Amino acid sequence: MSTLNPDQVTAQRLAGALGAVQRENVGDGSLIEDPSVRPPLVLNDREIGEITEIVCGYAEGRPGRWWLPIFLVTSTFVGILLVMVSYLIITGVGVWGLNNQVDWAWDITNFVFWIGIGHAGTLISAILCLFKQKWRTAVNRSAEAMTIFAVICAGMFPAIHVGRVWFIWFVFPIPNYNWIWPNFKSPLLWDVFAVSTYFTVSLLFWYMGMIPDFATLRDRADGRMRAALGEGRKRLVPDVLRGYIFGFLSLGWRNSSRHWHRYEMAYLLLAGLATPLVLSVHSIVSFDFATAILPGWHTTIFPPYFVAGAIFGGFAMVLFLLIPAREVMPGFKDLLTLHHIENMAKILLVTGMMVGFAYSMEFFIAWYGGNEYELYAFKNRATGPYWWAYWTMISCNVLSPQFFWFRRLRQNPLAVWLVALAVTCGMWFERFVIIVTSLHRAFLPGEWHMFFPTYVDILTFCGSCGLFLTCFMLFLRFLPIFPMAEVKAVMPQADTHAHH
Amino acid sequence: MSHDQCPSTRGEERPAGGRDRPDVWRSPEELADTPGFREFLEREFPAGASELDGASRREFVKLMGAGLALAGAATIPACRRPDVKILAYSREVPEEITPGEPLYYATSMPTPGGGAEGLLVRTETGRPIKVEGNPLHPSNRGKSSTWAQASILGLYDPDRLKFPRYVNPHRGLLDATWDDFNAWATDHFARFDSDGGSRLAFIVDKKTSPTRDRVRDEMLKRWPRATWLPYEPMDDGAAIAGSRLAFGSPMRELLSLDKARVIVSLDRNVLHGERGALNHASGFAAGRRPVRAGEEMNRLYVVEPGVSETGASADHRLRLAPSRITAFAAALGRAVLERTGGGGKLGEALDALHVPGRDEFRLGEADLVAAIADDLVAHRGEGVVLVGSSQPAEVHALGHALNAVLGNAGAVVSYLPMGDDEAADSLGQLRDLSARMAAGEIDTLVCMNVNPVYDAPADFEFAPRFAKVPNTITLSVGDTETVWGSTWRLNGAHYLESWSDTESLDGTIAPTQPMIAPLYGRAHSDAELIALIAGLDTHEGYELVRATWQGITRLKDERFEKLWRRSLHDGVLANSTPTPAVPDADPRAVAGAVSKLSLAAAPSENALDVVFATSHVHDGRFANYSWLQELPHAGSRVVWDNPVLLSPATAKALKLEPPEGSEDPYTAHQLPRARMGELNVGGRRITMPVWIMPGMADGCAIVHVGYGREHCGYVGTGIGFNSYSVRASDGAHTASGATLARAHGSYEIVSTQDHWSMEGRNSIVRRIDKAAWDEHGDKSPEELRDLIYAALPGHEVNLAEQLGELSHSPAPVSIYVNPLNRSTGDPNPGDEAYDTALKKDLPPAFARGPQWGMSIDLSACTGCGGCTIACQAENNIPVVGKREVAKGREMHWIRVDRYYTGDDLNDPGEVLHQPVPCMQCENAPCETVCPVNATSHGEYGTNDMVYNRCIGTRYCANNCPYKVRRFNFFDFSQTKFNGTFVGEGSLGRPRNVNFIPPRLRQKLDEIQKMRMNPDVTIRGRGVMEKCTYCIQRVNRARADIRVRDEMKSLPGIPDGMVETACQQACPSGAIEFGDLLDESSVVRSSRVNNRSYMLLGFLATRPRTTYMLRVRNPNPAVRASEDPFVAHTEGGENGADETGQSEARALFHRTTAPDGGARIALRVIGAEA
Repeated sequence: MSTLNPDQVTAQRLAGALGAVQRENVGDGSLIEDPSVRPPLVLNDREIGEITEIVCGYAEGRPGRWWLPIFLVTSTFVGILLVMVSYLIITGVGVWGLNNQVDWAWDITNFVFWIGIGHAGTLISAILCLFKQKWRTAVNRSAEAMTIFAVICAGMFPAIHVGRVWFIWFVFPIPNYNWIWPNFKSPLLWDVFAVSTYFTVSLLFWYMGMIPDFATLRDRADGRMRAALGEGRKRLVPDVLRGYIFGFLSLGWRNSSRHWHRYEMAYLLLAGLATPLVLSVHSIVSFDFATAILPGWHTTIFPPYFVAGAIFGGFAMVLFLLIPAREVMPGFKDLLTLHHIENMAKILLVTGMMVGFAYSMEFFIAWYGGNEYELYAFKNRATGPYWWAYWTMISCNVLSPQFFWFRRLRQNPLAVWLVALAVTCGMWFERFVIIVTSLHRAFLPGEWHMFFPTYVDILTFCGSCGLFLTCFMLFLRFLPIFPMAEVKAVMPQADTHAHH
Repeated sequence: MSHDQCPSTRGEERPAGGRDRPDVWRSPEELADTPGFREFLEREFPAGASELDGASRREFVKLMGAGLALAGAATIPACRRPDVKILAYSREVPEEITPGEPLYYATSMPTPGGGAEGLLVRTETGRPIKVEGNPLHPSNRGKSSTWAQASILGLYDPDRLKFPRYVNPHRGLLDATWDDFNAWATDHFARFDSDGGSRLAFIVDKKTSPTRDRVRDEMLKRWPRATWLPYEPMDDGAAIAGSRLAFGSPMRELLSLDKARVIVSLDRNVLHGERGALNHASGFAAGRRPVRAGEEMNRLYVVEPGVSETGASADHRLRLAPSRITAFAAALGRAVLERTGGGGKLGEALDALHVPGRDEFRLGEADLVAAIADDLVAHRGEGVVLVGSSQPAEVHALGHALNAVLGNAGAVVSYLPMGDDEAADSLGQLRDLSARMAAGEIDTLVCMNVNPVYDAPADFEFAPRFAKVPNTITLSVGDTETVWGSTWRLNGAHYLESWSDTESLDGTIAPTQPMIAPLYGRAHSDAELIALIAGLDTHEGYELVRATWQGITRLKDERFEKLWRRSLHDGVLANSTPTPAVPDADPRAVAGAVSKLSLAAAPSENALDVVFATSHVHDGRFANYSWLQELPHAGSRVVWDNPVLLSPATAKALKLEPPEGSEDPYTAHQLPRARMGELNVGGRRITMPVWIMPGMADGCAIVHVGYGREHCGYVGTGIGFNSYSVRASDGAHTASGATLARAHGSYEIVSTQDHWSMEGRNSIVRRIDKAAWDEHGDKSPEELRDLIYAALPGHEVNLAEQLGELSHSPAPVSIYVNPLNRSTGDPNPGDEAYDTALKKDLPPAFARGPQWGMSIDLSACTGCGGCTIACQAENNIPVVGKREVAKGREMHWIRVDRYYTGDDLNDPGEVLHQPVPCMQCENAPCETVCPVNATSHGEYGTNDMVYNRCIGTRYCANNCPYKVRRFNFFDFSQTKFNGTFVGEGSLGRPRNVNFIPPRLRQKLDEIQKMRMNPDVTIRGRGVMEKCTYCIQRVNRARADIRVRDEMKSLPGIPDGMVETACQQACPSGAIEFGDLLDESSVVRSSRVNNRSYMLLGFLATRPRTTYMLRVRNPNPAVRASEDPFVAHTEGGENGADETGQSEARALFHRTTAPDGGARIALRVIGAEA
């Protein structure tokens, strides 16, 4: 055997000459290493109807006891966010710790952070769809939901960070009697277009994907109401509401093959539309920095580096939220298997290496470029007053994914969750490092100044996390969190030729 | 405003008690039944209601020509209105007024300690809004000091005394009127006629005013035994005594620094903050701005304990504690006399002095004393030795003697006799008076424009003695501690609202004429009050001044009227400047004095020398001027505070360095905090924060006075610490043997500049030694076609640019055609390349004049901050308070960066200053990033800011490499500092009002809005702002040209017609502004000079503001000159830092291998190809 090269081994296996590789620890049964055997995407031999029951059960049934306490906590933070934003708008941007040298700090850090979180959803939905990665069906709906919620959080920050919020409409190209258009040269304006386009397409994508599932929920509510009427009982209010709301949202979906045909086509088209957006949005966000002349910002590496970082951070957030959800929601584990988690861990490893490469290239170019201001900016990142932020970023983003070289850790949900948590923190610090450490020591030492966050900075960020999580909790509670139709399509039962 | 004049509510304002108990107000029995007293009781409208008594005001209005339409309360129909007597021209606009056009009136401002500045005050619809120097006045020649600029704040100070108040022994504090005072005073002062006023005393500020002198003499005729005490707390008594020693009578020193080649300052801040400093700065700068190689330059040696503006301008600066400066002076005197033939008795006296520790007097390896003495002797008649206030009288006398020996007297320095008031021994007389007060010998004490309760030396115990005097009458413009201790508190008239006159340092007499009627009631000036008290024929200031002048000029009627009108117009009394004298210094007297001099041992950490120094708030009188509180202190750049300053080594030895370590305390992980220390000066103790200042003398502590005011106003009260409480009369300027021990607690210190080092970025402030300048200054490459922007493809760069990045970076050109100027190569404005290569359908941008530019000469700049304050006054720039400065939110449109060079924080090489306004970049980084087009380029090359359009993304500020943009984080321009917070702050002191967050502050008083310049928008919150090159002045000039026939034919705006506020105020003329396309403009000639360079020019921003490199003139005997174009040689201490070497290496490479791009990369990796 030792004389065979790996390809020969694989070939023999595929030919059935060698038996399937069995490992001692195969987890939940989705971790089959044999390339000749497709790991199951749904475990426990669920019937198609069971999938409907599981997914609709989340949206229709009572949630576990965990839901309400978490929801109360997160919605409290939404309240805090509202208070902080009102205070900011009533009083002035000075309630944050910004100053005339560090004019952006947590506000834009949070903006870029949340925009980055939003990237995993569209990547999973669009790019993995085009690449026909079937495992995406387990996570795409929730990842898309995260995209929407994250972009809402992200969009809030540029809007409230301006000095005069009531004039924010100046950034839109609205013909006005002053004949003043926005400045189309400004990357901030590109942001306006990029983020709003991204949000619109992501929302459409998310919504369109849910139409068949909405129809299922509608029909189930309808069925229950008919049954109630038949039995002479009163219709239940939730069912009535579901009937109306999902009836409206499902846009008259009747499961006809013509509907399915057009649905598939539209889905493909939207996937095609969304794919460049995955790359463009964060590239454009990175232009906010790359087109500036500040040492530490003025680098051409930013667009790919930001996109890789966004995917990295987005997947980390998906894992960070879905691994706990998997534990507390019944039947979830059958749909989101260890195989899925391992796949995403691999993506974390790859994109983590990409950002690590980008970090090192920044240093190399700063040294190789021979610009003393730029070299100083990077040396200052690692050794200046904000060294702790830089090294937090490095250890979270570059070092922590290295654990995923070990299969055991990749397949261990707790380990993956911890790394995802680290990466989520690390990606926030990455944006903080880029923004604040570059600004606080720019060209003229006479004008160097530190940035210290105020409680308003901190609570506004916590509030935005609360908003994100609150939205996600509502999503878990009321919407189909798996694409039922698509999951069914990747189940063995769907393949009538292979299935016995 | 609390004093509304509605009859229906008026009564509520009255003090309680009152009408039905007339007999309790009886303390001076004589008063009980006077008509004045009865009137006081029965007035319907007591305070402030009858302030306008028609005739006299009309008189002055008529004569001024201002034509202010004033009216009493009776003519105003509105019931509630502020107690302000200024109205718009409602019906008849005076003939000479064009609404919206400013009018300028000449006046003069008395400066602390005597002397004056001639001013032109800009008034808008009757409101004085901006103080500018009077070009016709010889003492400042159009320049103005920060004090004069900020004095407008004193006029519109809402905490001013607004009406007289009286402390009735029975009824307590009562509001009163001037009529009440008049009635009281008539009877009260009559008591002194019997014994000639022996129980009567006056304490007045030192002021050189012929009118006040005349009124004083009239008054003393009535009460010859009255005590007249001209008092200045920080009086330079040693200088007066020194000149008395040397010449027999006290003399003023007049300096012509423009004639000096060698200037030696022994702790004298001759360029800033003293009388005549404006002229000194311009004279000094005149000798330091070489246009071509080989021009002569002066050389400045400074020996000082702290870091002053003069020290920062020095070629050689030695840090030395004040007691050692005395020894240094003795050694210098000895050395000079040795070289000039012994010096007779004086030489012997100096010989007899044992001068220990000559090693301290070295710079590098050189003996500084010998070098200076050689230099002085080599430039006889072209040098000057200056002695500062920390030195005893004997050293001042020695200085006069040396100037005489060296032939400098009569050439560089000349003298004028001092007036009586000016020469008075303030502190000595105050000691006597205070003793008499304690003995109960004083019945009535009149204080005018002085604050001895606060600032008298601690050993006089003045405040408790003051409280014992039965009748204390205080006249003051602003609120003071002395006011609060007085029985009569009279509201004084600001110099901008009263008639007076001044005599400046050079003896020129100038009128002080009012710009506006007194804002609050019938305020009186000091001369008016004296006249009123003494019962002179008139106490109207106008009549007093005219009478004085008629006496001086001996003219009458028509001829006098003509002269009077001309003087008011010109702001000076013609031909009043006396010829200076050159009295002989008496070497024997000086020798006698010097022989009594005792030289103290060098101070140590355990026996510190303490220097009590004045700063921007002077002796405390300007403490309520927020602009000056927020103007950074020299050296430390601390604002809103007066910490004890120590050198880093001394602080370390005393374990008092800032908690974050002295290496870089400013960029630590928290806001800078200072440790508290207990300063013990001769047994008096004060606990103050301790801060480090690089470049200070070791074993020496500098304490600024004038802080810690208790009654000052909303700005100054509670700011800093009252160091007068440890200052005794025998150590008024310098005390020795003090100790400083660590005390409990820490304190937040706020500095506008958080970093002391230039971090090796030597191209920011470029310097060259004179020898190298002489070598290379005239070299200009043959094809040096781009004179304005120095570097273009294929073009060589000028000398100054060769000292920076442009010498070894690729030419900063775009790869795209810039749609704004339709070029890639960025040709110059007016360049032929425009016309030939690029002329298409449209004329190119920036090719038509005027194209504005500014040049800032770092050789001339002293770092005084005059530009900052002038800009603040002109452009309505708000003050943000200590808390906001701590956060880095100060709003100054032109700031002065300060850098120390060298590697040793304790003993830095040089102190450098660099004013940084907006550079008005042609390729402005701020413009491209603004999403809403709020900042865009004007056709005259300025980077314009459209406040209405700004939404406040702050992206422009992030992308500005010079960080000159300022954001309104709160509604700064609408708030004042006394918010709703009261109570104790930390350390048991009153809460520092500047810690009140701006959002909790009160709205601005109406009165303060009157000082705003109507030509400049008040910026609201959330808006970015920055320097505009005073575009309102440019626009006004353009309008003037358009409407005036005689100017319509001019091709453009003539050079000099527009001056920016900073340029106008800059005493050393370091800032030039004008049209770059105008071949004859001054700024153009500076721009094409070999010294001109762009700050961060390699960024291709094409700044319109450029700098001229600083030329140093080191004495070769002290340190060798460095030539940046030859490999680094063993230099002196100054340039030996590592970065200087690498800079020299980089340039050396350029001379051998012109491809600079690769060279710098090699330099970075350390491969010396």
